[in-house]
Amino acid sequence: MLETTGMGLLSVLILLPIVGAILTLIVPDQFHKAIKGGAVFFTGLTFVLSLGLLKTFEGGTFHFQFSEYVEWLPQWGISWHVGIDGLSLWMVLLTTLLTFLSTIFSVYVNKRAGAYFAMMLLLETAMLGVFCALDTVLFYTFFELSLIPMFVMIAIWGGANKKYASMKFFIYTLGASIFMLIGIVMMAKLNFEATGVWTFDLLAIQNSVANGTLWAQAMQIQPLIFWSFAVAFMVKCPMFPFHTWLPDAHTEAPTAGSILLAGVLLKMGTYGFLRFLLPLFPDAVRQFANVFVILAVIGIIYGAIVAAMQTDIKKLVAYSSVSHMGFVVLGIFSLNHIGIMGGAYQQLAHGISTGALFLMVGLLYERIHTRKFKDLGGLKAQMPWFSALFLIVMLSSVGLPGTNGFIGEFLALMGAVQSSFAGLYGLHWWMPVVAGIGVILAAVYLLKMFQKTFYGEITNPLLKRLKDLKRWEIGLVGVFVVFIFWGGLYPNTFLQPMERSLEAARLMSISGPGQGPSWSDKSHEINDKGDLVVVGTRTESGGWDKEHPGQPIMLANHFVKPEPTEYTAPQPPEAAHGGGHEEDADVEHAEEEEAH
Amino acid sequence: MKPFLNLPSSWSFLIIFMPLFGSIIWALFGKSLMKLGGDRDGKRVVAWGATGLVLAGFVVALDFALQLNVMRQAKESFDPITIFQWISLQSVNIPFELRLDSLSLTMTLVVTGIGGMIHWYAAGYMWEEREYARFFTYLNLFIAFMLLLVLGNNLAMLFIGWEGVGVCSYLLIGFWYKDHANAKAANKAFIANRVGDFGLTLGLFYLVYLIGGQAASLGIESTRWLSYDVIFQANVLEALSHFPKEIMIVSLLLFVGAMGKSAQFPLYVWLPDAMAGPTPVSALIHAATMVTSGVVLLNRMAPIFLMSPVTMSVVAGVGAITALLGALIAFGQTDIKKVLAYSTVSQLGYMFIACGVGVFSAGIFHVVTHAFFKALLFLTAGSVIYAMAHNQDMRNYGGLFKKIPITAILMTIGFLALIGTPFAFAGFWSKEAILGPAVNDVSYTLLLTNIGDYKLTVGALAGWIGFLAAFCTAFYMTRQMFLTFMGKPRWTSIEPAHHAHHHAAEALPVPAHDEHAFFMSDAEVEAFTVPEPEHHDLDSTHEPKEVPASMWLPLSILALFSTGPIWMVAYNSHFVDKWLTGSYEEHHGAIGHNALITISFLVFGGGLLAGYLVYKKGLPEKEGWDLSKWNPVRRSAMNQFSIDAVATDGTSTLGNHLGKVLAWIDVNIVDGLVNLVGVIAKAIGSLLKMPQNKGMVRHYAILMHLGAAAMIVLAAWKLGVFN
Repeated sequence: MLETTGMGLLSVLILLPIVGAILTLIVPDQFHKAIKGGAVFFTGLTFVLSLGLLKTFEGGTFHFQFSEYVEWLPQWGISWHVGIDGLSLWMVLLTTLLTFLSTIFSVYVNKRAGAYFAMMLLLETAMLGVFCALDTVLFYTFFELSLIPMFVMIAIWGGANKKYASMKFFIYTLGASIFMLIGIVMMAKLNFEATGVWTFDLLAIQNSVANGTLWAQAMQIQPLIFWSFAVAFMVKCPMFPFHTWLPDAHTEAPTAGSILLAGVLLKMGTYGFLRFLLPLFPDAVRQFANVFVILAVIGIIYGAIVAAMQTDIKKLVAYSSVSHMGFVVLGIFSLNHIGIMGGAYQQLAHGISTGALFLMVGLLYERIHTRKFKDLGGLKAQMPWFSALFLIVMLSSVGLPGTNGFIGEFLALMGAVQSSFAGLYGLHWWMPVVAGIGVILAAVYLLKMFQKTFYGEITNPLLKRLKDLKRWEIGLVGVFVVFIFWGGLYPNTFLQPMERSLEAARLMSISGPGQGPSWSDKSHEINDKGDLVVVGTRTESGGWDKEHPGQPIMLANHFVKPEPTEYTAPQPPEAAHGGGHEEDADVEHAEEEEAH
Repeated sequence: MKPFLNLPSSWSFLIIFMPLFGSIIWALFGKSLMKLGGDRDGKRVVAWGATGLVLAGFVVALDFALQLNVMRQAKESFDPITIFQWISLQSVNIPFELRLDSLSLTMTLVVTGIGGMIHWYAAGYMWEEREYARFFTYLNLFIAFMLLLVLGNNLAMLFIGWEGVGVCSYLLIGFWYKDHANAKAANKAFIANRVGDFGLTLGLFYLVYLIGGQAASLGIESTRWLSYDVIFQANVLEALSHFPKEIMIVSLLLFVGAMGKSAQFPLYVWLPDAMAGPTPVSALIHAATMVTSGVVLLNRMAPIFLMSPVTMSVVAGVGAITALLGALIAFGQTDIKKVLAYSTVSQLGYMFIACGVGVFSAGIFHVVTHAFFKALLFLTAGSVIYAMAHNQDMRNYGGLFKKIPITAILMTIGFLALIGTPFAFAGFWSKEAILGPAVNDVSYTLLLTNIGDYKLTVGALAGWIGFLAAFCTAFYMTRQMFLTFMGKPRWTSIEPAHHAHHHAAEALPVPAHDEHAFFMSDAEVEAFTVPEPEHHDLDSTHEPKEVPASMWLPLSILALFSTGPIWMVAYNSHFVDKWLTGSYEEHHGAIGHNALITISFLVFGGGLLAGYLVYKKGLPEKEGWDLSKWNPVRRSAMNQFSIDAVATDGTSTLGNHLGKVLAWIDVNIVDGLVNLVGVIAKAIGSLLKMPQNKGMVRHYAILMHLGAAAMIVLAAWKLGVFN
């Protein structure tokens, strides 16, 4: 059982925005400058505090850090248990950054400012809670809590069709996550049967999954509980065919809502895959990995083609999210080290580049109140800064090497090739090959978007009056651009802290009972080659004593040894005499085969 | 020559960094420079800065090449130079690393040397352009990416450069962005290249699969699976040779990448459209450097390609088809730049024939000579276009020799080099180095048939097709020269059109409210709008003018290197082979040296004569403006034998239809089902008819939670929570 630690930095992070939300609600709407200032202050403070996590975060371990454990409803086994590992570290920072930036953009909102910023801040609490929660009920609470502010934002500050879109968003995602609640209760029950302790604590449940006791008696219902979790995350992600709430919600949502929806809320789904599915349902994950990969591949191609047909720039970006998130799922369910790293990285990259795209669309919409391609065109000469920044963001979304969009897609596809060419987990070679076509299609729809907006002569006379972006707006987009290049040129900053955590999640899903790592067993560690080892001693603070490399339990298994296909290559007429030694080796090999 | 700087190899990043630095400076401060120093001086700073940074790279690269030459005598070579760690994971490590060897340094010298000349020329050619700084931003950025492509020590570096040059090409084709046609050409280039890149990435992922899985048994410590020094270790190559089928697929996938970038059939369709960009861009990117990067890739990965005779045959075959097709299409073109574009397609085909028949170094030899004479041809064509008021249609030219003699002489040198004038010009020697081994190839490509004692392999057939294409080359280039410089002036018969450009400034709508000051007032609009420079169309009042010295001086340097002597020495001393591969083997084949020279002579002379006979009087009747009477063969050649129509329009029409269907399915079926569920839920809700239930939200939420609660209770009961 965990010891009570009291509240710490993470709790402050999670709860601080709520304080801000209450304050913005109290202040009357006519002081909207004060409200805006206050909201920017609170989100900014949260962001700065979250940077404090980086200072002491230890990248050399897969265990949770900054853990806080306070009993909440002990009679039901529910606790305020929060903590972060490498994966959630970046999700937390992405959340605080995007909320801060989109709050700054929101100074353009005047209608009922108090309620608006209260919703923004409440949403931030919910999102941070999701990424920090280590108690399944706590996670569920935040997961559902995030719906309400987003629902309200779309319903009140949305576009023409806001009623339909907000309702659809709310019911669709709520309906799906209800299943997860059932799953959560069932997991607690199974854990109770295995250990005799009634708890919803994720670490405790994962520990009994890792040592094999949880599923030992309940193997046949593993798929059932697996899907109850999976559906909730698949809708959130969203994966084909559960994506149709997304374009509606995006088109109607106010700009800041779109940024957070695409940038953070979608990632709750993929985060859920990595935090719950892989560690808790090892057998089902291996069994159904191919279903996820196939749906991801369909989503990649389908999302891209449908995106190319859109006439509304925001809808186009929304469908591009379906395509891009497909790469995240593809990477994760390739269950390969490179693939999972790529998938997790693509989450961050997509958050930045799509967030930036929505921001820029929002900047344009604030000015001309249209997003239809037919009203746009020829902006390149009119708004040179805007077009240059848009170009960079667009190329990052295309996945150009040197920008962050490339790293995620490249690694996810590379990982998917490793697993599927080896035929692991029911994957087939064609899956990553078809997914790769999505990279071509990304260029098709994004270049079309850029052309229709910026090339040609100006046809809409109103555009001829447009000024370029204001300085602070350039700065706002500039922050995104910095991360686009940082993420593309030095991805190690972001990759290395999350590597151990993601490798642990992978090992949890591919190891048999009693072999994989356990979050609560602090003697297990993953070393820098990827081997799972037992560490002799640990330092007082919980860090890993690097003097003792530890005994290996499981050696790194990142690649599969390839087997040659039986095949004799046709030879040119004089190959045996001419040519270099490579051919000779080839010929010798063929002769060897004949001899057998 | 001895190394004159003796820079340590870690300084090699400077070669790439200098143009990159320039690009960033012009992007951020270019406009300020123009404002600060005045238009003229600002432009001078940008032009000389951009050119100087590229040429400085040439000097540094030359020093490294000379150092390498010295080191080679001691059997030494440069170690890979790691700049920083890019992607380092437990399972794969991709550092930012450079490689200084004969191939990378040769290409670096070509890129910086010829690139520098083209920068110099562009300084004058683009002088009237308002967005001068933007042009040189892209141009310098292109050089940086191109250098990364050739200097990188792993396939990921190559890929960064590969996509990077693609983007620069995209930006430069669409440089004049007001015309949607340019934007479309730019998109087409980018997308066609992406098709190739798709193959390339799959190829390198497959390679990682093959090498990574065997690393433990091969005892490879490093996880740099994509680095050349790891792939080309003898034991790795030996291990790979046990996977003949897999290696065939890998090499074919890599070749798809090369096809996209190097405009091979059928992915060539983007290149002619790319001529929409400014002419220096066509010379630099779409003739001399970027389009040859496929040949660089094949040279780099030569040990992998050599393992698969099937791939080698495909390479040679595609090269031959491209060489002939490009030459045939060139006959039907009337745009002076398009002829050169197809000629580039055709010449790229030769380079692939070289790779296909195993003489990779001859491919690079042709890359180098071609870079000189094709850049020269494009730039002189640019000078002609400059002289002819930006009209590119050769049917309007004629008799220009007397008007612009310097350009005419320079272009003639390029022309003689391209058509392979025996002994005296560059093209002859590099073509000879390709076609000689090709027609004698028996050891790299598959056998087609035996003709007596002569073994006709795919490579040999490609070689013969190459000779046929060489005949066509001499023919269509003669056509171009005659149409442009000989005969009578034809633009004199164009009636001057009277444009009424003076329409009153239209009143712009005033936005309803503008609380954030998003819009300009009328006065601000007027200050913002820059009047379009006056433009004269080509008509009978036009007087062609020779270009200034700043533009023909760089061309004369290119012309000097397009002549034969240096290359004759290189060919006869087997310098290219020795420098690039470190060894030289004498080739002996069925077709002897003298026979080859004779054939070359006949092909060259035949083409020239044929061209002379048809075009000596200038424009024949059939090539006039009335296209309906134009020889059907010509017309179909002009339309690329409908290949582009099928490939591009076909794909986009198909894609459009598919897209429409999918978009319909998305709205009506996938989403329709979702809405159907909503409708059913609503129906059930209204059946329950709760009187207080007015708001939809509550309605749904209550239903949802009731259902959820019921399910939870049910599940808990099933699991025995209540027991």
